Amino acid sequence: MLKYIMKRLLIMVVTLWIIVTLTFVLMVSIPGSPLNEERGTTEQVQKNLESFYNLDKPYYVQYLLYIKSIATFDFGPSIKQPDRTVNDLLGNGFPISFELGMWTIIVAVISGIILGIIAALRHNGIVDYLAMTIAVLGISIPNFVLATLLIQQLAVNHPIFPPATWSSPMHMVLPIIALATGPMAIIARLTRSTMLEVLTQDYIKMARAKGLNPWKIIFKHALKNALMPVVTIMGTLLAGILTGTFVIEKIFAIPGMGRYFVESINQRDYPVIMGTTVFYSAFLIFALFLVDIAYGILDPRIKLHKKAGE
Amino acid sequence: MKKVFLFLVALIAVVTLAACTANQEAGKEDKNKGDQKQTDNADGDKQDKEKILYMNNSDEPTSLDPAIGFDAVSWNSLNNLMEGLARLGKDHNPEPAIAEKWDISEDGKTYTFHIRENANWSNGDPVTAGDFVYSWRYLLDPDTGSAASFLGYFIKGAEEYNSGKGSAEDVGVEAVDDKTLKVTLKEPTGFFLNIVTNPSFFPINEKVAKENPKWHAEADSFVSNGPFKLTEWKHNDHMLFEKNDKYWDVDNVKLDKVHWAMVNDPNTEYQMFESGDLDMTGIPSEMADQLIEGDNVEIVDQAGLAFYRFNVTKKPFQNKKIRKAFALAINQDDIVKFVTKTKEEAAKGFVSPGFKNPSGEEFRDANGDLVKFNPDEAKKLLEEGMKEEGYDKLPKVTLTYNTSEDNKAVAETMQSMFKENLGVDVTLENTEWNVFLEDQKALKHQLSRSSFLFDYGDPINFLESFITDSSMNRTGWSNKEYDKLIADAKKEADEEKRWDIMYKAEKLLAEEMPLFPIHFYNQVTIYKDGVTGVVRHPVGYVELKWADKE
Repeated sequence: MLKYIMKRLLIMVVTLWIIVTLTFVLMVSIPGSPLNEERGTTEQVQKNLESFYNLDKPYYVQYLLYIKSIATFDFGPSIKQPDRTVNDLLGNGFPISFELGMWTIIVAVISGIILGIIAALRHNGIVDYLAMTIAVLGISIPNFVLATLLIQQLAVNHPIFPPATWSSPMHMVLPIIALATGPMAIIARLTRSTMLEVLTQDYIKMARAKGLNPWKIIFKHALKNALMPVVTIMGTLLAGILTGTFVIEKIFAIPGMGRYFVESINQRDYPVIMGTTVFYSAFLIFALFLVDIAYGILDPRIKLHKKAGE
Repeated sequence: MKKVFLFLVALIAVVTLAACTANQEAGKEDKNKGDQKQTDNADGDKQDKEKILYMNNSDEPTSLDPAIGFDAVSWNSLNNLMEGLARLGKDHNPEPAIAEKWDISEDGKTYTFHIRENANWSNGDPVTAGDFVYSWRYLLDPDTGSAASFLGYFIKGAEEYNSGKGSAEDVGVEAVDDKTLKVTLKEPTGFFLNIVTNPSFFPINEKVAKENPKWHAEADSFVSNGPFKLTEWKHNDHMLFEKNDKYWDVDNVKLDKVHWAMVNDPNTEYQMFESGDLDMTGIPSEMADQLIEGDNVEIVDQAGLAFYRFNVTKKPFQNKKIRKAFALAINQDDIVKFVTKTKEEAAKGFVSPGFKNPSGEEFRDANGDLVKFNPDEAKKLLEEGMKEEGYDKLPKVTLTYNTSEDNKAVAETMQSMFKENLGVDVTLENTEWNVFLEDQKALKHQLSRSSFLFDYGDPINFLESFITDSSMNRTGWSNKEYDKLIADAKKEADEEKRWDIMYKAEKLLAEEMPLFPIHFYNQVTIYKDGVTGVVRHPVGYVELKWADKE
């Protein structure tokens, strides 16, 4: 197991290096520059700015500077917010995005699985149709539409929750609902379909025939196997949601890190692009790694490593 | 199965209960907030109750370092935290501020500012002439990397220092004594006082900055000399300003605190205003129709122009008549009335309204309408132009704008106006903002959307953009007569004459038409009842010194 983990870690580092290099190539090949402004400045000012941010250096020097910054976990100051380093931006933004994301995942997974089980147990009944209608709606309504709707209905028309910003648990309710509905729907549909499949399996019939507690059959025997596909999507879902979402954070004015993924590219803020990319990739790679480990626990047939002599 | 059912019932009960408790709490919190606001309103009776103005800055300020934060999101904060030698008054003209008076030499090249005895920093230090010398040299230091440094080029020796050829000591800024600052200019610059009101020219507390070069990055270390001081700054979240009791004119500051949210989405901003979390809001463009005629809507000028640039190095716009034909085929009034819908003023000239010459006459009134919609004339000019160039068929024209719904609506309207008034099919093209700017600067477009916002209150700021080799030119247009007019205007000591030269320059621009105007900008704000005294300067920053809230 240890050997397997070491091997995976090595692969992770190589993957990260490839991502960083590709990002750098893509970044400098898109037209535009972080110093591009509509407002005109003199040539001299432009030159001063370029040398200030090392943009007048040849690409290979810039590349080496980036690799160095990644190796030392110090991405330097943002070009668009020069008083703050990329580490500050991510350090302040990530905990907030993580908090929002964690609650979102918890709400989405719990409600999604429950909805899926209910639908599967009442297959083709009214409850099933109802649950699946909710799921289809959840998948097809974009979260920014839902977000605006929620603010209008539950903050402006009926002032139950505050409309935006991030300062108390009450402020968290609307963004969590807006963000969790989509993943919840996906999880509900996945759970339902695999549940249906699993429930027709021989071992379930066997368990029923033995007169086991139906409750136990569902949660211990059926659900455990039905969860495999859910676990599969959890890796990407975790990385995606925990590192923040641009649109929801923008609508609710949440000071998370989601904005930097989009804005840094629009503004060609090179250090921030590199910082967010490295951070996100490392997070995603690690989440996928956790998922692989979780497979092994859920399904002993999946072997993570070959035993000697096999 | 029964058990499953029971479980579900239990689950629903739990969820409902949870929701109820949440609702109760919500109700409570909301009520408290309501109470607090009510007491806020009842401020007239109780003097000890704080007046807090809730505003939105839309984004984190780029930087509160005066030399670096060269944009509206930084200026809105800086202009209220700091104060320069002069400050824009309620009528948008420079008034004595940190300097209580100034003397201008006969030739108009030397300004001597006398700094107030009671001008202090929020940490108690006196504001000295040395602080200004320090901050202006810092602005011009090439190692600072300031995008605003070119504004200082009017000062003697500034350009040389900024381009690495001169030294800091040769810059024409000198502290005669602690409270006297002497500034020597390159040319008599009639609008120099307007320039020193720009936040880039605010002082920096030399002692503080030398101890901690990052003094401006956090609230703890920020030292201000303006009406307010920075007491809280949670990055990307909010800022809190408090009345600065060390400010020389603190008696005229009415607000106790200003709370700045950083909400970037115009719809959310409006919804927060609706639910009472903000005291003022802009108008989301989709709602302009419904809201612009409402109560408490204030519309003020923003000095600046929305326009389109021709590229005179590409066919068919090398021809002056064809350029004019395209310009006269556009009905600016219709665009403002039916497309943008936020009551901007249609632009029939280039310099926006609000600039008055020494005898009080408006620049815009004096020069009148220079680019007026005239489809017949446009058609005639197009024919003549095509004949001059020997075209049977007009070369293909592509109109480029940077991707946005608002720009698209204007571009499509223009496309149909070209078709209707000139019979020309124009292709539309949109690109991402940064790519767009890169291409525009490299003269890759034929006809492209542009905008200009003033940095300081003088028409020359806009007019000088179109001299040969200016980085704002981006049209390929070069005209010796125009270059000379601008150079003359910058040298002219007699204000009347200087304005006459600028009138001429604008007329020449309309004659040559390397660009054509669409509309001037404005600032639209909806205020909550009882909010008064917020001044929005045409140069784009907000002034809260006189603001009050009932």
